[in-house]
Amino acid sequence: MKPGLSHTTILLVGLGNPIMGDDAVGIHVVRLLKDRNRVRADLEFKELSLGGLGLVEEILGYEHVFIIDSVASTGTVGKICEFSPEHFKGTEYASSPHSTNFATALELFKKFENSSVPHTIRIFTIDITPEFTFREALSPPVQRAAFELAELVENEIEQIRN
Amino acid sequence: MKTVTINPVTRLEGHGKISIFLNDEGNVENAYFQVPELRGFEKFCEGRPVEEMPDITSRICGVCPEAHHIASTKALDQVFHVEPPPAAKKLRELLYSAFFIADHITHFYILAGPDFVMGPSAPKAERNILGVIGKVGLEVGSSVIKHRSDALDVIAMIGGKRIHPSCGVPGGVSKPITEDERARIESIAKSEVEFAKFTMKLFDDIVLKNKDYVNLITSDNYATETYCMGTVDEQSRVNFYDGKIRVVDPEGHEFAKFPAADYQQYISEHVEPWTYLKFPYLKKIGWKGLVGGKDSGVYKATPLARLNVSEGMATPTAQAEYKRLYETLGQKPVHSTLATHWARLVELVYASERLLQLSQDPDITNPNVRNIPTQTPDEGVGAVEAPRGTLFHHYKTDAKGMVKNVNLIVATTNNHAAISMSIKQAAEGFIKKGEVSDGILNMVEMAFRAYDPCYACATHTLPGQMPLDIKIYNRNRAILHNIRRP
Repeated sequence: MKPGLSHTTILLVGLGNPIMGDDAVGIHVVRLLKDRNRVRADLEFKELSLGGLGLVEEILGYEHVFIIDSVASTGTVGKICEFSPEHFKGTEYASSPHSTNFATALELFKKFENSSVPHTIRIFTIDITPEFTFREALSPPVQRAAFELAELVENEIEQIRN
Repeated sequence: MKTVTINPVTRLEGHGKISIFLNDEGNVENAYFQVPELRGFEKFCEGRPVEEMPDITSRICGVCPEAHHIASTKALDQVFHVEPPPAAKKLRELLYSAFFIADHITHFYILAGPDFVMGPSAPKAERNILGVIGKVGLEVGSSVIKHRSDALDVIAMIGGKRIHPSCGVPGGVSKPITEDERARIESIAKSEVEFAKFTMKLFDDIVLKNKDYVNLITSDNYATETYCMGTVDEQSRVNFYDGKIRVVDPEGHEFAKFPAADYQQYISEHVEPWTYLKFPYLKKIGWKGLVGGKDSGVYKATPLARLNVSEGMATPTAQAEYKRLYETLGQKPVHSTLATHWARLVELVYASERLLQLSQDPDITNPNVRNIPTQTPDEGVGAVEAPRGTLFHHYKTDAKGMVKNVNLIVATTNNHAAISMSIKQAAEGFIKKGEVSDGILNMVEMAFRAYDPCYACATHTLPGQMPLDIKIYNRNRAILHNIRRP
């Protein structure tokens, strides 16, 4: 449990580039959840545009972490998926952008004592079609999925509390 | 003809593709580094209020947003014809020094380190940060994380966030720092100086005391002789935040020294049909293709290039390390691509010492950190040294400050030609008779990794919609298929 908080500490992380349309759906979901849960002391919210080492540094010290991001769709735009860090084990030694990737960074911090790696990390994604249009709004199917995922995550948070 | 493709290039921001064409004997006939993605920030920014530019352009990249933010803020100073107060300039440079520390630590330990600590031919599963930590110990690993993180904390104190700072405004910065913050920064800076010295010693022990590595660094396979570019202060010492742009020829003689605002008199950009990334070159020399030497306008703007164009470093330990580098390698300028890693560590020492100097400056907590612009906005150029090279931001606005035109020459773009040449050189040196192992391919990758290229930043030019042009060649280089999507 994070020092100074009397309840279970839950962190909600929205990932993406806020000016790249659907890429920022993670950030939009976190904003939706923030609006609905403004006064809950056991919740924290972060909007981030980073990955790898920087991302893992941001989630240290929290007991439960939900990461919400977009993924390039191979099927249905708006599809919601859930992953755990275990799903990314295969990428531990693979390429990384100017840093180290998420799985490798997580493994790195697990090696350090007192590094406060979260007890649970759940990664939710929404399928999008990558595009080169700059805008701050979401496309209709991704917007609908954002509402759906916000509700889903909210239910999961309630289960942790109970 | 056999084609060897390394795709995607690993440990590189954005996406890159190296294609190596072998002849019938299995030796390298040609090699290309292609950038198949592009961004559209220059076009996208047109019509926006110019004061938004430091926040918009910092979103070009998640690795060097501080460089874009500060270059953009400096461009705004010129656009609005306003001079920031001394304390504001110092706070910008302080933030910038912390950024260099975080960036250079990351590159040395996580990107470049595995090649040397584990060996260039080590299995992929070991050639990474986890392998490095396994070899140098958890204590060193913990120190790497701490000092990187502390530097990001300094950025957050001044810029509001550990990434994508938002403190830069025309005429200064958005807030001063308190005495408590100054003391915390000073404490961090002292530790950063010691860690930079430790890192330099680690480089000595692991790399410079290993004869094979020294031979690799100085081998012809990693020597790309070009002009060099970098920013220097009034005494021609390295400066990351401000000064004049200096260019020296491949023999080290000064070719040009100019204020950033005059960059268009000195730099042009060449376009090739096979990559979205442009090739900047020295205008007065001209574009002669991907060749080095005094008659070719190709230049480098890297940590090593910065040292090559300068007469020294402005802090004591960095100056001693600067001298040692050139004395050890026995010449100046140095064109060994892999010596860029060494130069990066000399810069790490400088950035740490500069951070300490600025944190101890009596003026650093001065509350006067902004002069409010009163002039009509029109045009401005801002330049800084990004960790991987010189970065230019150039804006033109209407009288209401709405952006009419944007030109960005990004650090990696400056190095595009040199990177391509270094890759070809390494490929020619290491690939013989068709033998291509994972270790050999990694040694080719090492040629560009030394530049710490960032293609997310570099591919920012887009004339509307993304065109896609796919050409398929036969062994005689005749085009078999040409698929174009407008």
